[in-house]
Amino acid sequence: MNGDNPLLRVRDLKVGYEVPGDLIVPVEGVSFDLNPHEVVGLIGDAGSGKSTTALALMGLARPPGKILGGSVEFGGRDLLTLPDAEIREIRGRDIGIIVQNPRAALNPMLRVGRQIGFAYRAHNEATEAAARAHAIDMLRLVGINDPERRVEAYAHELSGGMAQRALIAMALSSTPKLLIADEPTSGLDVTIQAQFLDEMWQTVQKTGSAMLLVTQELGVIANFCDRVLVLHKGRIVEDAPVRQFFAEPQHPYSQEVLRFYHERASGYPEQVTGGAGFLRTDALTKHFPLRGSDKVVQAVDKVTISVAKGEAVGLVGESGSGKTTVGRCLMRLEHPTAGAVILDGQDITALNAAEMRKMRSRMQIVFQDPFDSVNPRWTVADILDEPLRVHEGGDKAARRERAVAALKQVDLDPSLMIAKPRDLGASTLQRINIARALICNPDFVVLDEPTSVLAPRARNSLIALLARLQKELGISYLFISHDLTTVRYLCQRVAVMYLGQIVEEGSVEQVFTAPQHPYSRALLSAHLMPDPTNRRVDNPVPAALEGEIPSPIDVPKGCYLASRCPHVTDACRANPQVLTDLGQGRAVRCERVVAGEITLQEAAHD
Amino acid sequence: MLLRYITRRMLIGVIQLFCLVIAVFFLIRLLPADPVSRLVGLNSSPEGYEQAARQLGLDRPLFEQLWIYLGLSPDIAPGLLQGSLGVSWASGSTVGSEIATFLPVTLQLITLAFILAFIISIPVGMLGALNPGKAADKGVFVYSLFAGSQPEFWWGLLFVYVFYFQLGVAPAPLGQLSPMTFPPEPVTGFMLIDTLIAGEPAKFFEALHHLMMPVITLAFILSGPIIKMVRQNMLRALQSDFVLYANLIGLPRKRVARYALRAAMGPSMTLIGILYGFMLSGAVLVESVFSLGGIGQYAIRSVLAFDYPAIQGVVLVITAISLVVYLLLDLIHAAIDPRIAY
Ligand SMILES: Nc1ncnc2c1ncn2[C@@H]1O[C@H](COP(=O)(O)OP(=O)(O)OP(=O)(O)O)[C@@H](O)[C@H]1O
Ligand code: SF4
Ligand SMILES: [Mg+2]
Repeated sequence: MNGDNPLLRVRDLKVGYEVPGDLIVPVEGVSFDLNPHEVVGLIGDAGSGKSTTALALMGLARPPGKILGGSVEFGGRDLLTLPDAEIREIRGRDIGIIVQNPRAALNPMLRVGRQIGFAYRAHNEATEAAARAHAIDMLRLVGINDPERRVEAYAHELSGGMAQRALIAMALSSTPKLLIADEPTSGLDVTIQAQFLDEMWQTVQKTGSAMLLVTQELGVIANFCDRVLVLHKGRIVEDAPVRQFFAEPQHPYSQEVLRFYHERASGYPEQVTGGAGFLRTDALTKHFPLRGSDKVVQAVDKVTISVAKGEAVGLVGESGSGKTTVGRCLMRLEHPTAGAVILDGQDITALNAAEMRKMRSRMQIVFQDPFDSVNPRWTVADILDEPLRVHEGGDKAARRERAVAALKQVDLDPSLMIAKPRDLGASTLQRINIARALICNPDFVVLDEPTSVLAPRARNSLIALLARLQKELGISYLFISHDLTTVRYLCQRVAVMYLGQIVEEGSVEQVFTAPQHPYSRALLSAHLMPDPTNRRVDNPVPAALEGEIPSPIDVPKGCYLASRCPHVTDACRANPQVLTDLGQGRAVRCERVVAGEITLQEAAHD
Repeated sequence: MLLRYITRRMLIGVIQLFCLVIAVFFLIRLLPADPVSRLVGLNSSPEGYEQAARQLGLDRPLFEQLWIYLGLSPDIAPGLLQGSLGVSWASGSTVGSEIATFLPVTLQLITLAFILAFIISIPVGMLGALNPGKAADKGVFVYSLFAGSQPEFWWGLLFVYVFYFQLGVAPAPLGQLSPMTFPPEPVTGFMLIDTLIAGEPAKFFEALHHLMMPVITLAFILSGPIIKMVRQNMLRALQSDFVLYANLIGLPRKRVARYALRAAMGPSMTLIGILYGFMLSGAVLVESVFSLGGIGQYAIRSVLAFDYPAIQGVVLVITAISLVVYLLLDLIHAAIDPRIAY
């Protein structure tokens, strides 16, 4: 698929990091071409050298890194041998870049407007005033409201999303011939993520430039890329058009990454029968007092959910919608302001400390960052032993046997017992966290974004593991995630949260094939399913929700979505909405849907 | 906001000073020393001894002495509350007036030395950081090692030897002005300012000429640690994400260096403050070599004479100045780095 006249020709690129007494070479011989008009995805595991490669394309390496060899031909010249002054002209003008951590990329000591101005004036003749005006225009262009005020802001005063927008604006404004985007939307909510990728894609199409899109998301690859490069062990191991890549991955690594995509034909997980209401909440409410004010943050608002025995229920929604707080209240890591949490008929909010300690062995939680929840000085053996010692006692040898069995259960080798957390990768450690959660045979586990820090391959295998354990052990899960793809594979039922409330609830099949609530619809239409035959860029997509999620401090009086809903009426703004049962396990919090006034659009995803 | 912050810092400073006064007051009295016999001589009569003790107020109970010092018994003698640091036992003049003559000499010396050290250190440290491991960087390393390897009086003497005896470009190390010159009316105590107030530019340049060698000596010593610090902070800044990004979007090399320098300056302020506070009394060797008569020399003289009021006064004033310098540098740091909130 290499054209005759590529825009960028990379050959044998080699980058290493000098660490005391050693040289690590994460990129050891990368070769590929990029053609005009092409959007190429670059995927690979965490730490596989994607970012290192992206920087090296511009002749740079993050200290103490060094480019050790190879060539990067762009416009007939090798960027790696160009004099400093010449390559500085190309950077930012002919090749634009969006880096992984946008807030850290902005100079913390200069106002954002000045920085954008400097970038502009590095490649254009302009006065300071003109550059400032240009900066304001650019911020307005990427949808930052009140740009006159924002140009005066410092980086730490911007949200991650705003900083990302600023970077995107800077990269696009010079209409570069090549755009390198390193996980450009990783910090953004799904709804905004899709909008930005749309925009970048359109820019590339309009201006005939090319884009290298570094990502860990198969959904992003499937929906936006024409071709896929797979980086594994420092080399490109696969280079294929996107449909071919999804249909017939060649390299074993690619095959593993795509395992779920291929198993998809098996349909949705089977519904469980019986054991309903094994764990349930009753109007669970959590308010956080706001310091220096008598207002409260309304994090969770009368959430009633129910998980049957052996069932996995997904809890989805944008960041800040209250998912994690629900999980923490279930575990009583947070004491609910009102409402009850009932496990197997017992209200755990009413238990005293001793009773709660006993209860803890029956319910467990796994957190997002595997390193957060372990003592870094403990060995794996210590980590696994702790819950046994606390909850069950027994002699040491028996406990050790249990720990070894738990390791095997999560497909890890017993030799890891002597390892410490820093010796382990995130995905191994997350398995150990899961082993620890399961070691006392709990009935119920809260999984709070357990896969979100993992690379696609590790994520896949962890989901497979969780599904297997659920089947084998009959545990109930509450699976908190903003990644709808994993929810779809693991869960039987799903609840969609918005601003502390559940707005829709039903089986995964019901909600994913025919979402009813306007918010669920927006969420699902923004979600990038890893399916290259039904690409977002080929189909017109329904308009995304406008605006941003309101603050949970001053919640609206009527429907919480009223400020963003395309179907809003005056009645919506006035009436608080209630979650209404539609039968067949479905419930929706929207009076217009219940009244049948909003007709169902095309199924978002089948 | 700013005003409130400054007020708060000042209030805390006053409390710190108060605690310091109490501590110093008792600590020096714990010394196994007898200031009275020091004053009247070892073989004076018991009556003479007692009279001297009465004169110094040392016959009173300890807490009464403290009360008087703090200014809570103004009918006996004025104290701190009345703005008086007491009377020097050695000279009989007020401690306040003595400090007012000696302190400006030191402030003038070390402030100029710091400015000079900065002018040297920033470009040199930057050069080292921008070319780590290269010849320039190695030169910087050798220089800072070299400058710090010998005590400052040694450098002072060496400079005097070279520039006064051998080359004759520097004046004799005999004070702020040549001994034949009649000093101007002391208004501020700062020689450079007083000569100007007196309208005598010739004396101004003479004072400057006399300050040259001590300032260079001190700056030479100070630039070692300052260069090292600038280089290190600069190196760290150069490795930060925003400098990498600045390179990625093709900002000119000069602009990138300025980004890094600014990021390096903020954290440097703390060390500068500590160094300055230390130099207030630490410049004494250089003051002695050049016979400048600064606060360090005054402090040593007071200690040797067991002159309690003078010792207390010097400690109090030096600490107060250090606190003000810390505050100023924190304000500068906040001005450089908007992330720092008051
Ligand atoms: N400063 C450094 N010193 C030593 N090794 C480093 C340094 N920075 C990165 N590495 C190593 O280089 C390899 C590649 O890192 P890189 O950031 O390019 O990976 P990546 O694929 O972009 O990862 P991610 O998915 O987390 O963004 C990793 O093994 C990493 O440990
Ligand atoms: S109640 Fe009205 S505003 Fe709220 S989701 Fe339904 S249609 Fe939209
Ligand atoms: Mg990366």
